[in-house]
This record gives sequence, C-alpha cells and structure tokens, in this order.
Amino acid sequence: MRYRATALAGLLAAGLVAGLTGCAPSTTPAQNDGADKQTGALRVWLFDEPNRAPKDKVVNDAVAEFKAAHKDVTVEVTYIAVNTRSERFKGAFNDPASAPDVVEFGNTDLPEYVAAGGLAEVGKDAEGLDLGADLKNSATIDGKLYGVPWYVGVRALYYRTDVFTELSLTPPTSQAELVAAAKQIRAKKPELFGLAIGGKYTFGALPFVWDAGGDLATKSGTGYTAAINSPQSRAGVKAYTDLIKADNCPPQQCADLTGGKTVELFASGKAGMAILGNFNRAAVEAGAAKGKYAVVPLPGTKPGSVAPAFAGGNNLGVMKSTQRRTLAAEFMKLLASKKYQEQMYTAMGNLPTFTSARTELAGKEPFLKPFMDTIAAGTKFVPLHPGWGKIDAQAVVPTMLEKIVTGKATVEQATDEAATAMNAAFK
Amino acid sequence: MRKHLLNGIAVLVALVTIFPIYWMLLSAVKPPGEIQSLHQRPWTLAPSLDSFRRVLGVESFGRYFLNSLVVALVVVALSALVAFLAAVVLTKYHFKFRTTILVMFLIAQMVPIEALTIPLFFLVRDVGTVVPGVGLNTLGSLVLVHTAFTLPFAIWMLRGFVAAVPDELEEAAVIDGASRFTVLWRILFPLVAPGLAATSVFSFITAWNDFLFARTFIISASENQTLPMALLVFFKPDENDWGGIMAASVLMTVPVLLFFLLVRRRLVAGLGGAVKG
Amino acid sequence: MTVIPLDEAGRSQPARRSSAPGGPVDGRGGRPATGPSGRARRTPWWMLVPAAAVLIPLFAYPIYQLGLLSVLDFRQAQVSGGQPTRFVGAGNYAELFGAERFWSVLLATIGFAAACVVATLAVGAALAVLLTRVGRWPRTLLSVAALSAWAAPAVTGSTVWMFLFDANLGLVNQVLGLDGHNWMYDRYSAFGLIGAVVVWHSFPFVMVTLYAGIKAIPDATLEAAQLDGAGAWQQFWRIIVPILRPLLTIVVIQSIIWDFKVFTQIYVMTGGGGIAGQNLTLNVYAYQQAFAASEYGLGSAIGVVMMVILLAVTLAYLRALRRSGEPL
Repeated sequence: MRYRATALAGLLAAGLVAGLTGCAPSTTPAQNDGADKQTGALRVWLFDEPNRAPKDKVVNDAVAEFKAAHKDVTVEVTYIAVNTRSERFKGAFNDPASAPDVVEFGNTDLPEYVAAGGLAEVGKDAEGLDLGADLKNSATIDGKLYGVPWYVGVRALYYRTDVFTELSLTPPTSQAELVAAAKQIRAKKPELFGLAIGGKYTFGALPFVWDAGGDLATKSGTGYTAAINSPQSRAGVKAYTDLIKADNCPPQQCADLTGGKTVELFASGKAGMAILGNFNRAAVEAGAAKGKYAVVPLPGTKPGSVAPAFAGGNNLGVMKSTQRRTLAAEFMKLLASKKYQEQMYTAMGNLPTFTSARTELAGKEPFLKPFMDTIAAGTKFVPLHPGWGKIDAQAVVPTMLEKIVTGKATVEQATDEAATAMNAAFK
Repeated sequence: MRKHLLNGIAVLVALVTIFPIYWMLLSAVKPPGEIQSLHQRPWTLAPSLDSFRRVLGVESFGRYFLNSLVVALVVVALSALVAFLAAVVLTKYHFKFRTTILVMFLIAQMVPIEALTIPLFFLVRDVGTVVPGVGLNTLGSLVLVHTAFTLPFAIWMLRGFVAAVPDELEEAAVIDGASRFTVLWRILFPLVAPGLAATSVFSFITAWNDFLFARTFIISASENQTLPMALLVFFKPDENDWGGIMAASVLMTVPVLLFFLLVRRRLVAGLGGAVKG
Repeated sequence: MTVIPLDEAGRSQPARRSSAPGGPVDGRGGRPATGPSGRARRTPWWMLVPAAAVLIPLFAYPIYQLGLLSVLDFRQAQVSGGQPTRFVGAGNYAELFGAERFWSVLLATIGFAAACVVATLAVGAALAVLLTRVGRWPRTLLSVAALSAWAAPAVTGSTVWMFLFDANLGLVNQVLGLDGHNWMYDRYSAFGLIGAVVVWHSFPFVMVTLYAGIKAIPDATLEAAQLDGAGAWQQFWRIIVPILRPLLTIVVIQSIIWDFKVFTQIYVMTGGGGIAGQNLTLNVYAYQQAFAASEYGLGSAIGVVMMVILLAVTLAYLRALRRSGEPL
C-alpha cells in the first residue's frame, strides 16, 4: 500500500516535469476569419461607474438610434467593473470567439491591450473626426490609431461651500493651505473627513508625486525605469500618505478606499473635500452634497500653482476579433459622436474629446472652468508601456500606499519595493 | 437539570448558527430606509418585496437562476450515473489496478482546483473550436468541468452504499438467470438510489456555488452568466445595494437548503457509511 | 434514521480484506468479489469508461498541463501568439522562491488553514457529542441550523457576514458600539473574521459525520463506560475517539484539503487579498498572478507547489489509514 502510494506520487510528479517535449496550450493570435456580418448581436462592454443611471440612459438612446438604422442587429451592453477589467479583457483576448465587439477602455490600458493584439486599428474609420493632436496621440501606438477618445477626465478639488463658510475657510491655493483646511474641518466637525482620499486611489496620489517633481518612471531609451523611489517622488508619496492620518482621514476607514468610494463619501456629505473628476459630477449631484459644493484646481506646494493632474480619459475601440467589423466601427462612431458626447457631458460631466464640442461647452459652463484651468496648467500621464497594465493589475501603487499608511513599511521601503515591481514589469 | 443546561446550549448554538441566515432573509425584506439605517433592528415592521422585485426585474436574475439550475441538475445527473457505474466496479470487483485507481480518486480531491483553472481555460477554449457547445462562454463548459470535479468525491462516497448491498442478492439473481445488465439496473440501482440522493447534494453544491469557473469561462455572454456572478453585480463601485445583495442571496440559498433538508436523513447515514466503507 | 450503510458496510468487509493488495489476482484481470460458486466473473471494464472519459481529459490532462506551464515563460504576449513560448526550466520556481512575498503568503496560508482545521474540528466534534446528549427538539433545531449554514453558498455566506460586520451598517458594530470600526483593517482581525465564516461553513460536515459515527457505536459500549464512572470528557477520549479513528482521519484530512483551498471567502471578503495584500493565500495569489497579471507560468508554478503540499498530506492520510487497519 505504502509502496504503491509512493510510487504513484512519484509517477505523478515525474509526469508533471516530463512535459518538456509536450505541447503547451496552443496560442491563438486574435484574428477574425475575415467575416464581417451585418446582422446579429453586437456585444458592447462599457465601464460600470458610481451612479451609472444617467450613463445608461444616454447609451440606451444611442442603442435605440443604432437599432433603428440597422434592423437585424441587437446590441447587448454589459457594464464591467473597473477594478476587475484586467481579468475580463485578458479573457476576451485569450478567447476571441467569446470576446465583445466594441469596448470602452481607459487610455492607460491602451499599450497593454495593443501589445496583447486585442484591439483593431481604426485609423480609416476615424478619419475626419474633430480630434486634437494630443488626444489623437493618446489613442495612437506606433503611428496607428486604436480607438476613438470618448471623453477626457481630469481631477480637481471639490469642496463643500457650506462647511467652508461655517468654518470661515477659503478655498486652498497651496498644498499647505489644503492640509491645514483638511485638518481644521476634521477637528471642528469630527463626523466629516477633511480631505477624503484612500490607499487604493492611485490617481489621487499621483498629483502629489508629480507636484513634488517626482514621477512613476522615466523614459530611458526604448524602455522605462521606475522613479517612484527618487527623493522627489518620495516627498510626494509622503505628502499624500501623511494625509491618511487620524487628523484628516483615519487609516481604519481610508486605507482601503478606492477613488469610487471617495466619490461616494463626498456625495453623501461625509467629507469636506475630495479629489474628484469632472466625470463624477452626476454622482455628486445625486447625493446630499448637491448644491453645496464648488470646485477649484488642486493646489501645488508653491502658492498659487496647480498640481499636475493625470490626463485621464476613456476611449472606445473595436476588438480585433470581432465578427462584425463594420457594425462595430459604426456603433463606436455613433457613441463617440458629438451628439452623444454632449449628452454624456450633461449626464455624467464627461468632458468631450471633440475640440468644437469642448470649446462650446467651456464657454457656457462655469463648472468646467477649474478643469480647463487644470488642463491648461499641464497634465501628466502614466508610462506608455505595456508593463503599466501589469503594474496596475498587480496593484503596485495601492500596495505601496497601503503599506505606508498602515505602518507596515516606511516610505523608503515601500517605494523601493514598488520600484522593483515596476522594473520587473517594464522588462 | 444537567439535561436542561445541555438543551439550552444546543438551542443557543443553533440560534447563533442560523442567525446569519435569518439576517439575510430579514435584510432582503427590509425597506431600503431600514437597511441604510445606522440603527439596525433585528425585525422589521414594514416588510417589502422591493428588493426581490429589483433583483428579478432589472438585472435579469431569473435567467441566471435558470442557468445555475440547469447546470447543477445536469451535473448531478451525469455525475450520479458515471459515479454509480464506477463505484460498482470499484466495490464489487477486484482487479489489479483497483487500489491504484482508488488512490488516484483520492489524490484527485487534493488538487487545488483554482490552479487548474489556468490549463483548463486553454483546454476549454481549444475544445470550443471543435465542439462549440462546450467552449468558453457556454453553459456546456461549466457542466463539463463540474462533472469532472464532483466525480472523485461522488465515487468515493457511493462505494459505501454499493458495499452495503448484500452480494447474496446479486448471486441469487444471477442464478435465476438474470443478465448482468438486469442485475445492475433492477437490483443494484434501486438499492443504491438513496445513496445517490445523498451523494447528489455534494455535486449539486459544487456546481451551484461555483464562482471561479463562472468567472473565468463566461467571458462576454451575459446570457450564460450564473448566480454567483450575478450576485456580484450588486456590489457597486460606490455603494453596495445590500437589499439587492441579500434578496439575491436568499434566492441563491433557498434551492440548496431545500435539497439539503429533503435528503437530510439519507445524508447523515450516507456520510457515516461512506466514510466508514 | 436509516443507518443501513453503516451496519452493512461491516458485513462486506471480510470479502474485501481477502483481496487486499498482494492477494491473489488472476491474470485475466478480474475475479469475483465473493460467491460460493467461485465462478470467475469478468470485470466489466466498460463501466469505468465513462469515468475515465471525463476524468482523463478534464483532470489528468490539465494537471499535466499545469506542470508544463510552470516551466514555461508563458505570459499574455505568448498567449496571443505575439512571442514564442520559451522553456525556462525552474525559472518560475526560482522567481517564486526568491520572492519574500511568496514565503509570507505560504506561511499565512498554512497558519490560516491550520487554525481553521483545528477550530472546525473542535466545534464540530463538541457539537456532535452534544447532539447525542440533548432532547429531540434541540437536536432537530441544531441539525437544521447546521444544515442551513452548510447549504449557504460560499458567496452568499461571505456576503451576509460582511454585511453583519460592515463598518457603518453592520449589526455587530452597532451592538458593540464600535461605529466605523473596520474589521478588515487589521490583518489578524480580517483573517479571524474570514476564519469564522470558513468554520461556520464547514463545521456542519464534521458534526454530522461524527454524529453518525457516534450513533453507530453500540449503546452497550458507551453505557459500560458510564457505569465505570467515566465523565463525558473521558468517554470522548477513551471510547469514542479510538472507535472512530478511521472516521476522524478522513474528517481531518477532508478539512485540511478544504481549508487549505479556501478561495471564495477570501476573494469576496477582502476584495482579492485585503489591504496591501495582507490576506492573500496561495490560492488567491496564484489566481491573481495568472489572470490579473497574466503570469500564467508563475501562477502555474504556485499551483504545483500547492499540489505538492497537498500530496504530502495525501500520503500522510494513506499511512494513517494503513496504520488504523483500514484497507482501501
């Protein structure tokens, strides 16, 4: 008995390693077989968002318009969670047969998706669209356009006007004032967080790093080298994590907050300030903070300066594996058209990508001013490298922030660890 | 006196154990205002079916429910049939590699299924190009893998029940001229049937509760999504819809609970028997 | 209560013992289990074919592939066919064993599983004994409660517990007056809470199985012990444990397997690993490496490591079975 069991285990172990000459799982380049069906179901993946209802409505209108124009076509829209999008997209790339046709994706994910061979080039389809050069660049890899920028998102400082009036505060114009205001709110009104931020809120932390003169990584030749452990970056990381303390946003509550959760906190009236995007306007308007807030650019350390914001934005693209190339491109263009971009602004606060639409809106919408000012002051971006997708999926930056916030590591240790992980991903 | 004390402890433990289930039911029928309340009460004076309506109406939960049920029932049927045949051979016959095969079934239970998702993903994808019905994104793929993963334990457990059928019965039938097929289906099968019911609970739960394969295999076909994934829909990026989550949880738990209570007695006997055999 | 399998299982034992490994085996591959006639019956191999047809492609082959992937450089670019697959030998393992993260995750996995197993067994065994000593109604109530916990799918169970322990809306914090206390913030409190859910889900199996076992012990044996003046504690250790040894072995090993492989509770309750990944276990770690970071090779290597650990447990189990005189 014993002999047999041992022999069996040995056999099994031998089988496991004896696979050198065996065949690995087959690999499939994401290609379609040239089919371009004109009927059937068009599958669309869009991002789930805080307070999604207004987005649903605009998308449903676009779907209705599309279906009216194409009789034998149905459109299935699925909203996927932003924080697990990586797994979903990977699954879709690995199995072209079950992939969707049209997708919304963050511009930071573009290099990874293109490297995975998942997105179709849409340069021809997007010809003549009213896109600025910088935006077009954000959807371009190696000179080829993969997708149409759908909206631009930058973050600025939302603050509660009623709280500021009550405590006789003025909107902060420097980081020192920001910190002071946050602590004062927390001290005078303990039921509120001063500035709601979180350990999982990468794009809330990055402006602090950039403002301190640091960066995630620097370009060297064709690749990138992590710079998150440079002295400047560390100063920025420290400035951010110092805010996740009992006198502003206690680690107990804030260590695992995502950007989405800070939206909810501010909207429901539990925070005096928050770093939110123009695209979060609908969520804030739907909450208790409605009518009691204003927005200014997030101040930098130098008085009067603006901390560089992350030039976020989402694109619409067509999957390379689609069986309905023409329909997919048409739907993409419809949803990204000026008409629906403007509707998305009204619904969600999404800043249009078409130059004409944006200038028109900026003229008549005072809400947009702080965001336009932030863009004018200069924005920054994450490394344009396929490795960034992996860094994001492995939660390198949130892990770094959380380790510091929970006291598991010093700023030095955590940033060094993060740099090692990043460099591994850039390899 | 002592007996009263023990009874008291048993009742207390029972209440603590069942409390989460009670809380789930309660939260599912609480009106939204009470769920969001900072003063939760262990009862509600205004039960409402709003959460159930929201779940069944808006998010096409009914469809997911049906998908889960179909997958679980097909897995139960397939697994019971295959396990029955294998258990008979492995109990009533003795041959050279019997022990080896049994040991392998045992080892099979030790394999971390999560790790196997990686190769299985590629396998199912490739199979799908040949037989589209069981490729990724289909319910067929879920049926296949669950059948495979429930078999080792099912066979192992069924052996106890098969062994419990006296050999004399078969012998008598054979002497009466019954074919082996007749013995199998007319004599063994009815006698082992109660054991199959108990075994089926495990197969049912495995398939019904699965979260991993549904998440990994059903990539874009939302019409083929199963219950556990649907439950996650109610976890929002900003604020969880606890009422919806609880209503969905109730719908997901009830079928299993019914199944369990139905075969309760056989299950108890079955576990003792299987484990001992 | 039907306890036929229990009683009858014993009756067929002698027949099976006679053919323990090493016993006479005929060259044609089969012989009758019993039978006064002594006629040789051919083993109906076809009855194993369906099981083989399912298990070989869907179980054995993936295990082989898992081993294969673990020695390859297999990432997203390879899957998509952009880059050739490369053999890296023990490279993935070297990377794994070289990472501090892996060791802390491994340690957490083992510690967490061990704590869960001990707690599950203690609770399950205590309640099984309790069940034999209470009246009918409390017994039914406790059985039904336990079956409810058992029946609750892992996803829904985890969810309900999360809601009970929610920082603001949870009943527990409101009753204890810990408003805003985040149970998932501290590593050990998070593991403790997840462990409680795991035990809640798994103690019924232990309780029901051991209860069935204890019921099968002849009353006379237990009564004799009672006459000797043995208390409940002594009775449990001196009478029940030795008699139920094989049963206990299986329950222990099954618990180890199940608790070592806990996935859903952790994934759901900690959002995939907790604050700074403090609640990662090997299972979740492997899944994330493979499917989030596209490190399929590395993820497979973690899977193989887990398998090896569990195989060691299997061998320990088989030896224990052999020692207690239970042939397979």
